[in-house]
Amino acid sequence: MPLIEARGLTKVYRLGRVDVPALRGIDLEVHEGEYVAITGPSGSGKSTLMHILGCLDSPTSGSYRLDGRDVSGLRGRALAHVRNRKVGFVFQTFNLMPRMTTDENVALPLQYRGGISRRARLRRARALLERLGLGERIGHRPDELSGGELQRVAVARALIGEPAILLIDEPTGNLDSKAGAEVLKTFREVHDAGNTIVLVTHDPNVAAEAARTIRLVDGEVAA
Amino acid sequence: MAERRAWAAWSEWGDLALDALREIRAHKLRSVLTLFGIVFGVASVVSMTSLSSALEDMAYDELQRMGMPRTFRLVDRGPRSDVSRAEELRHVGLSLGDIDALTRLRGVAATFGRNFAGRQLASTELDQRVIPIVGVDAAYLRFRNWPIVRGRELAPLDIMNASRVAVIGEELVKPFFGSAEPIGRTIQLDGVRFRVIGVVAPIELELVPADFSFLARRIYVPYTYVTRYYRGRRRVDDVMLKVADDFDFPKVMLAGATLLRQRHRGSEDFEIENEAADLASDLAMADNVLAGWSIVLFTIAGVTLIVGGVGLFSVLLISVRERVREIGIRMALGADGPDIRRLFLVESMILALLGAVLGVAGGTGLVMVTEAIAAGFGRDFFVPVHLPGAVAAVLFALVVGVVFGWYPASRAARLNPIEAIREL
Ligand SMILES: Nc1ncnc2c1ncn2[C@@H]1O[C@H](COP(=O)(O)OP(=O)(O)OP(=O)(O)O)[C@@H](O)[C@H]1O
Ligand SMILES: [Mg+2]
Repeated sequence: MPLIEARGLTKVYRLGRVDVPALRGIDLEVHEGEYVAITGPSGSGKSTLMHILGCLDSPTSGSYRLDGRDVSGLRGRALAHVRNRKVGFVFQTFNLMPRMTTDENVALPLQYRGGISRRARLRRARALLERLGLGERIGHRPDELSGGELQRVAVARALIGEPAILLIDEPTGNLDSKAGAEVLKTFREVHDAGNTIVLVTHDPNVAAEAARTIRLVDGEVAA
Repeated sequence: MAERRAWAAWSEWGDLALDALREIRAHKLRSVLTLFGIVFGVASVVSMTSLSSALEDMAYDELQRMGMPRTFRLVDRGPRSDVSRAEELRHVGLSLGDIDALTRLRGVAATFGRNFAGRQLASTELDQRVIPIVGVDAAYLRFRNWPIVRGRELAPLDIMNASRVAVIGEELVKPFFGSAEPIGRTIQLDGVRFRVIGVVAPIELELVPADFSFLARRIYVPYTYVTRYYRGRRRVDDVMLKVADDFDFPKVMLAGATLLRQRHRGSEDFEIENEAADLASDLAMADNVLAGWSIVLFTIAGVTLIVGGVGLFSVLLISVRERVREIGIRMALGADGPDIRRLFLVESMILALLGAVLGVAGGTGLVMVTEAIAAGFGRDFFVPVHLPGAVAAVLFALVVGVVFGWYPASRAARLNPIEAIREL
């Protein structure tokens, strides 16, 4: 059974009176342990697809099964719970909390899982940061970190809840080549540890890391 | 298991409080400004309830001071025009013998006879004027808490002998004796020479709206003298009875009336006056006035608190707008609507609570300033902080925090995560 099973996903944005179709019927399957890259020109719907796969948004039509459960009809709270348990999302701009330390940032998803004490959450976050080679950065605030470090803290935060899938939008878009290489190494390690990764990228070098590449054009999967 | 869940719930509130405190610390000035209304509201509730309850206590004390608990009076009805001639003939009147009998009655701790001699000409070398003369019993002035400021008051011997001694009101000292010592001097009352033995001052009341200054414009002489020399028939106007502490007040009152009726051969020529009951109703009235005041003060304080709540409301709205992105991130990480609402509600409540704590401190300060000012005027005005008022103010501030935090928090909770994050 595939981890991600999307059939005929569409997303139509409404801009005033006009409908803007961002996705026009996407079929997609991702199996456990895969490393998939999504590429495509700007405006082709990559981010839109990622948001739907990450349960941040719901599709206008089509079905989406995540880890065996149909989530395309879920809204609000139910979707929030799926996000918390099944999805690790890494944003293009990292989106770390500026006033929290790295470990507090990483521990944040566990706060919304409930039932885990703050102390236990922070312990887990620190262990994960150590594992990703960020032990030195524990207790620092985001503005004290380099771009590559920020990206890896964001990855740690996505991984802390042991999600079924890691979704990464434009991981190297905001990084120089050295930091980009560093981050790719981290992805490789995370993938080798058994995690399933879907990432969006413009960069052929990044896409080359993945075992499979899906190309989007105008909201459709190009052949 | 349930215990575990309860603990988890508490620790969640702890997390929320931590988040809120972090946010408040990041905007110290704004937070403090937001709190002004609530601080003022709570401070005014605390100081006003403290002051009004202190005033209430003082008024109560005053009434207690002038009040004569467990006393009643038997008053001669006097000749009346509205009764038949036959009834009028049966009028016996209070006598010194009646007072003796009442004094021996079980349960009566003391009796005080009284006789009004009416307005008489009083004169010394310095002045002469018409003054009300009242015949009273021994120790009566002290019993009524009327302060003897000089000399002594009437003693049992004075009453027994119907001595020609007088206690004069304080206001009469100057006109009759100038600046000389009045004690031991002579004053003529209706042509009879009396020796001045004491001076009585008016009872001082600050809060109870009653004027007792007339006490200082009268002359007090033994009631037995008045009975003997101003009244042909040896009658007494009234007698006050003090009921002993371990006796039932209404029973003794009834026994006193029964005894008098028997001695008057069944004639109902006297009335029972219960001044204590009248005073109790005065006290209730004073309480009402103060309660009215409290309502006014509470309303003012409540309005201030609500204005404070409006301040809190607008700052929270700003805060929600500023933190849209943060809200989106939290939602992306799995926070649901209620999580976000709680985040802002807790911030609102903590702000309100902070304001309430500062307000209680401020109110206590105001009360202390009032005490200091009173002390400056030489008044001993002890104002304890009114605990129920403080507790009510803090609770009300919390309610204000929840009520005015609800809308901004709900607005935050309704945000759509994607729109909230909107990668630029
Ligand atoms: N919230 C929105 N409202 C209206 N239109 C939107 C919205 N989000 C995206 N779109 C439109 O949907 C289409 C797909 O956008 P999307 O952001 O998914 O593209 P993308 O492939 O991620 O592009 P990029 O490489 O520039 O990030 C675009 O035409 C975009 O203008
Ligand atoms: Mg995009």
